[in-house]
Amino acid sequence: MATVRVAIEGFREKGQWSAEAITDHNRWLFAAQQRARRGPTPEVFFDKRLDNSRLVKADDPVRQREMRSFAVATVFFFALLMVYSWQHFSSIEYGYHIQTEKAQLQHLQDENHQLGLTEAQLSRSSRIDHLAQQIGMEPPQPGQIVSQGIMDVNSNAPVLASVTLPVVSSSR
Amino acid sequence: MSRSFKQPLSAPIPRLRFVVLIAILAVWVAIIAARLVWLQVFRHAEYAEREHRQQERSFQIAPRRGMLYDRDLNPLAMTVLVDSIFAVPSEIQNKQATARQLAKIVHQDADDPYTTARDIDGRLQRSRDFAWVARKVDAPVAARVRALHLKGIYFQKEFKRFYPDNELAAQVLGYVSMDDNGLGGIERRFDAALHGTTGRVRMAVDARRRSYSSVERDPKAGENLVLTIDDHIQYMAEKALDANMQRTHAQRGTIVVQDPNTGQILALAIRPTFDPNDIHHIRSSMLRDPAVSDVYEPGSVFKLVTYSAGLQTHVITPDSMLPTLGGQINVAGRIVHDDRDAIIYESHRHNVLTATQALEQSSDVAAVEIGERMGKDRFYRYIRAFGFGRRTGIELPAETAGLLKPPARWTATTIGSIPMGYEIGVTPIQVVTMVSTIANGGVYLPPHIVLKNSLEAKGGKLVPAAFHPEHDLPDPLPPGAHRVISTLTAAEMRKMMEGVVLQGTGIPAQLNGYSAAGKTGTAEKIDPRTHTYSKRLYVASFAGFAPVNDPAISIVIVMDAPAYRFHFGTQASAPVFHQLAQEILEYLGVPHDEPLKSTKQMEEIAKARVGGDAPQEHAADLSSLFDEVNHLPADDPLRVAAQPVQANADADEARAYRQPATAGVGKMSIESAIESPAAGPSPPAPAPQDLASSGVLAGTGPSVTMPGFVGEPMRRVVATAANLGLNVRVYGDGVAAAQAPPPGTRIPAGTTVVVRFHP
Repeated sequence: MATVRVAIEGFREKGQWSAEAITDHNRWLFAAQQRARRGPTPEVFFDKRLDNSRLVKADDPVRQREMRSFAVATVFFFALLMVYSWQHFSSIEYGYHIQTEKAQLQHLQDENHQLGLTEAQLSRSSRIDHLAQQIGMEPPQPGQIVSQGIMDVNSNAPVLASVTLPVVSSSR
Repeated sequence: MSRSFKQPLSAPIPRLRFVVLIAILAVWVAIIAARLVWLQVFRHAEYAEREHRQQERSFQIAPRRGMLYDRDLNPLAMTVLVDSIFAVPSEIQNKQATARQLAKIVHQDADDPYTTARDIDGRLQRSRDFAWVARKVDAPVAARVRALHLKGIYFQKEFKRFYPDNELAAQVLGYVSMDDNGLGGIERRFDAALHGTTGRVRMAVDARRRSYSSVERDPKAGENLVLTIDDHIQYMAEKALDANMQRTHAQRGTIVVQDPNTGQILALAIRPTFDPNDIHHIRSSMLRDPAVSDVYEPGSVFKLVTYSAGLQTHVITPDSMLPTLGGQINVAGRIVHDDRDAIIYESHRHNVLTATQALEQSSDVAAVEIGERMGKDRFYRYIRAFGFGRRTGIELPAETAGLLKPPARWTATTIGSIPMGYEIGVTPIQVVTMVSTIANGGVYLPPHIVLKNSLEAKGGKLVPAAFHPEHDLPDPLPPGAHRVISTLTAAEMRKMMEGVVLQGTGIPAQLNGYSAAGKTGTAEKIDPRTHTYSKRLYVASFAGFAPVNDPAISIVIVMDAPAYRFHFGTQASAPVFHQLAQEILEYLGVPHDEPLKSTKQMEEIAKARVGGDAPQEHAADLSSLFDEVNHLPADDPLRVAAQPVQANADADEARAYRQPATAGVGKMSIESAIESPAAGPSPPAPAPQDLASSGVLAGTGPSVTMPGFVGEPMRRVVATAANLGLNVRVYGDGVAAAQAPPPGTRIPAGTTVVVRFHP
């Protein structure tokens, strides 16, 4: 190890930290490690040439089709999952909205009924009669009421011809 | 270290260890699988139910009760949502103090026994999960309770029935109990249709109990009913009746206004009355509708039938000379005599009057004479044809057929009684229909009070049907209609009845600008206790129509037991006709058929001294009349014993306070989160009858004296009642605290009595 450190320091001293220097350094290290491992026994290396040129990826259309189908199916199911999730959460969201709207509708209908009741209470004959009396009004005398279009004047019923002047009564 | 590094990784695992490992895994998986199967298969229902409970809220939705309208679609009864207050007692620390605090606000009515501090506290103590505090309270009361922010106090929306016109047509409309059960009038008669169908909603809620989805079975709202009543005419009738009750101090009064050309009832006013909005002050006697449920002897008003039949059978003509025999006639040993004024009138005409004059003076002798000329069989046929002795079929509950004996059961003196309106029991509805028959030209048209309902309306949309007087009868005639007398006979009768108003006993009924026709009637009232005629109580009536030639309205006024100066129909009822008919005809815009009179002329008419239509004394065989009750149908109100209507209403309310809400009212009620039990509507209360004060009372079977049950245990109450032949309707448990009818009351055997128990 002391030798290695000396070598490194030797390179540093030279200041050569180029790629070539590093390669040399690595080679030197490798050789040093081999030497250390081998010990005093010589080591013989033989080159074995491997020819991979024959290993050619064969074109497999079936598998490609399967892979494409798988990819499409995966994308489809993923999209389906996304759409399902979207519509699920969307439906929940709409659910809240619909419930709110229903409650609002119910509320408005109830309010409508309440207003109808108030209207009926305010327009009842006894109340109007009482108010009319309070402001000094009196029931009309016979002949003071002039009806327009209430009776069917063209009916065949006998009607006694008469000329009557309304009786004007002075109140108060 | 280096040795282990060199050891091949594919070294075989010892077989035993492998088996053990696999076995452990298998057992682990098996346990999990078994647990899953147990939970998801065997206990599926239980957990599904638990899940529903946690994630879902289920409510019954009460249907909105159908509305009641008058013919112009003015609402007479409607339902709106109001707050009910309830408590979860387990959440309340100091129940007694809370009850006191609440009672100060909710106990608005001193007669309401369910909102006192003691009663609220009792309910809080008895229950742990739920107790009503007050039901269907007004908005200001609910706001005040809300402002207290009391723990454990919640609000629930419930439907409440409102009657905007308060007392108007109360007996016609009836009212509903706390649980929306119709307890009188139209509300009771059409309870099923008005009530609607309960809905149900299952609502999914999130952790914050907000609803995000719901499955609903919508409630079906009750049908809306349109009555033939005209709101304004009804008010006129009630106002006139109020004034006349004050003037005559009568015990009771009834006014019926009918359209003679269709049979539709335009107004039906009854006094005394009640406010259906205030159910705590309604008594059973007020609920009775004497227009259809009570009978009275009509007295001289019934002479219209006698004269009509006489004219139709050609026994008389309007100008026939009838001997009045010095004002008295002997009928099988019983002397029938005319009143003093009639005798004086007759004596001035040598005791021979035309039929028209006899009717004008209301001669009893002449009426008996006509009856005898016709014979009982022919006369009876006409009485039946005019609608007496059978139900008219009007859409009101508890209608009586009235009392009319068939000729086979007539006694020797009956022919001396019925022609002048005695020994026969009629209802005001029957009388007004008879008058309308004469007014419309002789066709009996059955009376109706329901115009249509929402289902019958075109497209479900109701349209106003303002009343305009018809000039012709409907074509074709409605079911039940039939001709009774000819058009000529009807015209003759109208003319003769006009004479009654112009120069007979009905002068106070004269109108200004309109011709009018009618007949007064006075009869001694039957004392129900002694089954004899009262010497000081009378039934004074008037029945008429106007104008004479083309009648627009028929009116009958019946005053029951007016004060001394108003005993006769002439004084008690004819002036009401004058006031009411005048007002209605002007309101309807009916053209005047006579010149208008000045105020002075009308005052002179009002002051004119008119001979009263004095009643015949002891004019009928009352025993045979009372016997006639036994021949009525079993469900006739005259046969049905007095029922504890008020007790039933009270029991209904007590039950309403005991049980949780029978139904929510939709999504707004989620705050209460109450699982409501299905609660079928309780059967409607029986007909409100109190024969003790009606015109005729008859025992129809063995009766027993109501024992006192208060303080007795339930077992003994049931045993005692069974021994006496009484049925018991039991409310609550513990010892008897209240009962109806009260102890000592004579009631027919078989009557259902109500006993309320308290622990």
